[in-house]
Amino acid sequence: MTVLKPFLLLASLCVCLQATAQNKQLLYDFNEIPQSLLVNPGGKVDYLWYGGVPLLSGISIQGGSSGLSVNDIFADDGLDINDKIRDRAIGGMRIRDELSGTYQLDLLNGGFRGKNRNVFYSFGIYHEGDAIGYWFRDYAILAVDGNADRLNERFDLSHLKTRGEMLNVFHFGVNKRMSKSLVLGGRAKIYSNILDFNSTKNEGYFVTTEGQNNLLASTLNANMRLRTSGIDALLNASDNEGIGSTLLKRGFFGGSLGLGMDVGFTYHFSEQLLVTGSLLDLGFVYHNNDVTNYTLNGNATVEGIEIILPGALLNPDTDFWQELVDDVETLIPFEENKNNYVAFRPTKLYSSVRYDFGEQIRTKEDCECDQIASNSKGIKYANSLGGQVYAINRPRGPQSALTAFYMRRLGNTLAMKTTYTVDKFSKTNIGLGVSLQLGKVNFYAMADNLLAYRNLADTHYNSFQFGFNIISWGKN
Amino acid sequence: MKSISGFICLVITVLLCSCMERQDFNQYDDISLRPIYEASILYVEAPERLINEVTTTNFFSQDFNFDAFSEPFFAERVLDGIIIYELENTTSKALDVIVEFLDEGGNILDTEAFQLEPAPTARLRREIAYGEAGRNLDIITNTSTIRVSATNLGDTTSTSNLPDPMVTLKSSGKFRVRLK
Repeated sequence: MTVLKPFLLLASLCVCLQATAQNKQLLYDFNEIPQSLLVNPGGKVDYLWYGGVPLLSGISIQGGSSGLSVNDIFADDGLDINDKIRDRAIGGMRIRDELSGTYQLDLLNGGFRGKNRNVFYSFGIYHEGDAIGYWFRDYAILAVDGNADRLNERFDLSHLKTRGEMLNVFHFGVNKRMSKSLVLGGRAKIYSNILDFNSTKNEGYFVTTEGQNNLLASTLNANMRLRTSGIDALLNASDNEGIGSTLLKRGFFGGSLGLGMDVGFTYHFSEQLLVTGSLLDLGFVYHNNDVTNYTLNGNATVEGIEIILPGALLNPDTDFWQELVDDVETLIPFEENKNNYVAFRPTKLYSSVRYDFGEQIRTKEDCECDQIASNSKGIKYANSLGGQVYAINRPRGPQSALTAFYMRRLGNTLAMKTTYTVDKFSKTNIGLGVSLQLGKVNFYAMADNLLAYRNLADTHYNSFQFGFNIISWGKN
Repeated sequence: MKSISGFICLVITVLLCSCMERQDFNQYDDISLRPIYEASILYVEAPERLINEVTTTNFFSQDFNFDAFSEPFFAERVLDGIIIYELENTTSKALDVIVEFLDEGGNILDTEAFQLEPAPTARLRREIAYGEAGRNLDIITNTSTIRVSATNLGDTTSTSNLPDPMVTLKSSGKFRVRLK
């Protein structure tokens, strides 16, 4: 049961990864922070160069559970935990509820303005992990209640839907001011996958019906698949060369590789009104390295051992039980293969509309470098107000979030952004981000769903991001 | 600097205000997963023609290997349960049917006997409980063979007027198991 413990804990949390767990609404369009280029390569950049402090920049951790919180199950409220599981998980959650988490860490991140001063290049390597699992309701019912007295009730095998991956991303981006009103950007990515698992195309059912001969007939109709890549290598590594070196090797082109791209833009309708948009991780990983897949395909109905005389006793030595087991294994073979596969990355879409107003602030930008920028005088506004949309493709279809935001800039030293986000998790998600610029040193920190801090155990979603950067505008 | 100080105060206030309702993660140990599963076990069908062809009264006796109960996943987790038998005799003779559970050594662990009157008879249904409210659960966990014997208490010449006369034994099990 030790092995089952984390699994059941996960289940008790309702095994539902949050749909919008990768939403970086606070970082998006926060141009004071260089990492905002990673969520919109077409964002506005006014600095000459920047460098993220390795391992201390671009750090983000997000997690969410759309159906259940830790508090729902583990609150010290005197209620029987089994009743809570039955009422709140089994009875209260839907199959679209999910549990998800993601993290990201910059290993290397930098950028510089090119000879053409309207072009800014950025590059780097970041490490990312992401997993999502939907509430497997019918499996949970089978585990908690069983199939007894549930005649003709189909247990849907498609309720098992999960995926996850860990990878390093090598990227190079170009950001260009095309005109006074338009900035375009693109980023090429090479994915070096460390591990991947996905089981998202399951179909079938298990049902108990009245038997034709015997009392009950048990039918399993399954078309299930679990694909894995890199997991065998990590399991073997624990016995041989060590997990650390295997992670390093697979993360630096020794694992499965893939290609992808980001695109984005910023467009000024006027000096104060602008729209932005970006499409991230349009790409795939081709898994051809340490691949192991498992399948369960077929259909079988059994009514126990069936002895129909006199034919059944022609061979008195027949082992009817073993025949039954063999028949089921033939009809629904559990098989393993090493077939390569392609996994598409979770593509994200951001878009925003923003209105700048209030006090004008002279930026640190070297104005001589900028011949066609919209704010050619190096001016930005103290306040920004706007809205954002976010969407991500997930195993159960696209998930989206709506955000309203307000930004406040205090000179060139401090910028703050507060957001109000509505998604399937929360209707009260208020976030706060701050960027502090002290000389060339930039520090930023962001946190989500602040109202949930009143009782952290009861939150359905939380994220935290921070990082240190060195930013130069080429003049003091 | 005044604004920066204000912001720092705000952050500290948020952090100070953050809290967590008391949680008791030891409740995990109290989680009890005890589902009840049911499925058919054994079906035996013998036509009257066969009964008439066998001259001895004990017209059928056969051992069936049955490892389902002794599979570790089941045997180590089963808490209690019932076995349901349903027999029907549409032949023209009275029959005795005996179901026995045997362990790996061939020792009889449990016996269930059924007396069936000649047709027309109603279906005979019997539920045998195992566990605290019934017979010893060890009978189930040690069973590796099921023996079915049938004895003809009538003649070997008469034929039932019912269509397709036969004797049938149906059985299923419903067991509660401890997953955690």
